[in-house]
Amino acid sequence: MLVIEHLHYATTSRYNFPQPVDNFQLPQKIIALSIDSMKNLKGDFFQPYEVDCPELTLGKQEEKSATLNGKVFTTQLTPLKPIIDDTPIIAIDVSSIKIGETETGILCAIRGAVVWSRRRQYSYFKLGPFPFHINEENKKEVINLLRGYHFPVSGSTDLIDVQAKLCNLMEKWIQMNICCSSNNSIILWDGSLTAGTSSNPLDVISLFLKMARERFNSVLAFSKMSKIRFLGHKITDLFLKYPPPWLFEVEETPFSPTLHLLGNVYIARFRSNGYSFRLDIDRIVPIEQKIDAVQRLIGNDLVFQSYPESLRLAHIYSTFTANEVIGIQHYIAHKFRLKALTRRNVRKMLFGPFGTRFDD
Amino acid sequence: MKLYKKAGNTIQILSFPGEDVNKGCYLLIEDKGSNKSMIVQVVDIQFANVPGIMEELLRDSFDDETVYGENIDPLDITSHILYIQDARLLICKIHGTVNDGKLVLDNSWLPSRTHSKIRRLSIQSLINLTGFNGGLPIFLGETDELTRFMIDAHALDGKLNIITGKKGTGKSHLSKMLVLGLIDHKATVIILDLNGEYTHLGLTSDGKENQYYKKIHVLTPGFNLRVTLPQIGLSVMLKVLIYALNLPGTSSREFRRIWRALDEKRCLSLHELGEAIRSWNCNQNVKDALFSRYYTMLHSNFFTDNAVEAVILEEVFRKTENGGAIVINLSDASPTDRQIVVEYLLGKLQELLSQEKIRPVFFFAEEAHLYLRETYWDDVVTRMRHLGVFTTFITNQPNTIQENIYRQADNVFLFNFINEHDLEIVSRAAKVDVETAVSIVRDLPPRHCLVLGSVVKDFPIVVKVRELDVQTRGETRLFFAESQIQQMSIT
Repeated sequence: MLVIEHLHYATTSRYNFPQPVDNFQLPQKIIALSIDSMKNLKGDFFQPYEVDCPELTLGKQEEKSATLNGKVFTTQLTPLKPIIDDTPIIAIDVSSIKIGETETGILCAIRGAVVWSRRRQYSYFKLGPFPFHINEENKKEVINLLRGYHFPVSGSTDLIDVQAKLCNLMEKWIQMNICCSSNNSIILWDGSLTAGTSSNPLDVISLFLKMARERFNSVLAFSKMSKIRFLGHKITDLFLKYPPPWLFEVEETPFSPTLHLLGNVYIARFRSNGYSFRLDIDRIVPIEQKIDAVQRLIGNDLVFQSYPESLRLAHIYSTFTANEVIGIQHYIAHKFRLKALTRRNVRKMLFGPFGTRFDD
Repeated sequence: MKLYKKAGNTIQILSFPGEDVNKGCYLLIEDKGSNKSMIVQVVDIQFANVPGIMEELLRDSFDDETVYGENIDPLDITSHILYIQDARLLICKIHGTVNDGKLVLDNSWLPSRTHSKIRRLSIQSLINLTGFNGGLPIFLGETDELTRFMIDAHALDGKLNIITGKKGTGKSHLSKMLVLGLIDHKATVIILDLNGEYTHLGLTSDGKENQYYKKIHVLTPGFNLRVTLPQIGLSVMLKVLIYALNLPGTSSREFRRIWRALDEKRCLSLHELGEAIRSWNCNQNVKDALFSRYYTMLHSNFFTDNAVEAVILEEVFRKTENGGAIVINLSDASPTDRQIVVEYLLGKLQELLSQEKIRPVFFFAEEAHLYLRETYWDDVVTRMRHLGVFTTFITNQPNTIQENIYRQADNVFLFNFINEHDLEIVSRAAKVDVETAVSIVRDLPPRHCLVLGSVVKDFPIVVKVRELDVQTRGETRLFFAESQIQQMSIT
């Protein structure tokens, strides 16, 4: 067996979250909504989803695909030098998963995770899981909650979209709390700083970034997958010949008039044996401060495979394993006295192993 | 508990935290629909193959030292996740069916997966169902349900038994318990005691006389176990010479002639035998061979010309008519002397039994390979058993007992074994299901024994062998313990 690289975690001597986080407010409304929605569970049974279906997890937001024109694509390569100090790194991620169906709606669960890194010592905070039963009756309640927090939602939203929106709401809630309770920190978001979508309202994201700036925080948003292409090539596949760490700025990308880039878009590559990622950094922050933030990130966090370890851990802690899905299904069956009936997989029944799976 | 799978005579059951199930316990699968219940025994407990468990464990591995964190879980869903994570898969062997309250050996039916209720079947309920706790109880110890466990001495009568397990697990302890249990029921027991550990069965652990004191008859070869030549007889003497002392065929024939000549003259004694060999007209090599055996016999001190010193076995047996044990103390005997004594004893035993001069006996042989010749193994399970010698072999080296003995053993008392080779050997016993033996025996703690065979009506049961208030003398002498005591006495 060949060991390519080892991650070295320093041991945490004691539980020591950054001070502002002690005042972290629980999203009480989300908890209340979860409990209330579950009280609406009616009937005798629910159909649990098979836990090995990859389509159960939903993406939090879809990035609009964009092809860049060669003329407007001006580039600037910035080599980076890691700065090692005590800057806290705080990463946020939220996941949702479909749990099953009832006679009237869908069952899903949401969980958020925040990971702190200071001197490469990691602490985490998991919020949830919160199960939701979303049906036509309580959909309006959810929509009202979203609208109350400036998230534009259409009344005709599908039940399944409500799950993604709830997940997004929880993520924004955590992001807000971190932005307004942390100081002199680097805050890592999963995704981009593209605003103007229903999941990223302009005023909401602008407010969060402002709150972060006022407390001398830097928000860095990492996209694992970017659909932006230059001359037919994915931008994250370009410039691989330059020795990392570096930032490659992508300027003035043309987007739809409704979309706003609240951050400058970069391609970031921190390790030669890693990948390139799209990195958005708050546009209003001066360029020196942007570079400084990235240099402090790679100096104070592990960047195995070019991806910040804090954000990787936040993703790991928020996502649901198959075992957890079964556990949540067990909770629902036990708590609400519902019998779990296995849903028939129509595709498997019709096509057998062809185009489905080889298991069973 | 939920019924999961069935393949052959193996049933897999899903069990969840809080359900009290251990290896070796019995479960009853009640199928109300068919009005039948299946009796199964848990032979192994595994983790249930819960999907996503690897990811879960990998994630949790961060938590131990390197990453510290907190979960806000107001709905306490984590407890349900952990509940699923700790689900166990019980590998069970089918042992029978209860149909209208009666036990039948019908394993051909399949209980309903959805409607069956699975519950633990207590050993007491199993005993009631099978009725194996009969009229002559021997109290062995307790089950893991802390209930007293007894076997019926009838189930040892006429049977071949094996007690085996690795060193220090309690084999001799159980063997002593069986000996005393049989004495309680007025049986005669003969023990070939290799380490002198049965000699003090008549004393309590603090050295006082116990109820068995007058029933334990210790015979030590060379001291109170000596025989005259007329007592031993020609046929037994020839066995001693041929099998124990390896006398060649030609020499044996000469010896027979010498013996007959002395017998005709009514002067059969050690002294006369020596003189006869000296003056016998035969090949010098034969004479040398006979002399060397003669002196070995002489030096063994087992033979005597003094009839007063000689022990009459029939009389010793008579003392055990109300129950008793004859302990042949072989602890100080050389390997050759041991073989001489055992040849004599077994030969005499067969003679007395065939003439119906004594009652059948229970014969306990520890590490029998050290003194029992090859051809006796077959005798033990065939001719001798029919005559009335019911043998119990005790060994910590299962490979020293021949395979046919395992195959014909009626009862097997298995203590812990870890070695795969040993486990493979003991699983040859006809009364043992290989998977049951290997899986349960491997994890048995000291003093715990898996009882198999007729004594438990073929329902393997794990028993914690009870304490015995007798001087065991079976414990190994330790260097450090003694040197510390000496040091203390010096200071």
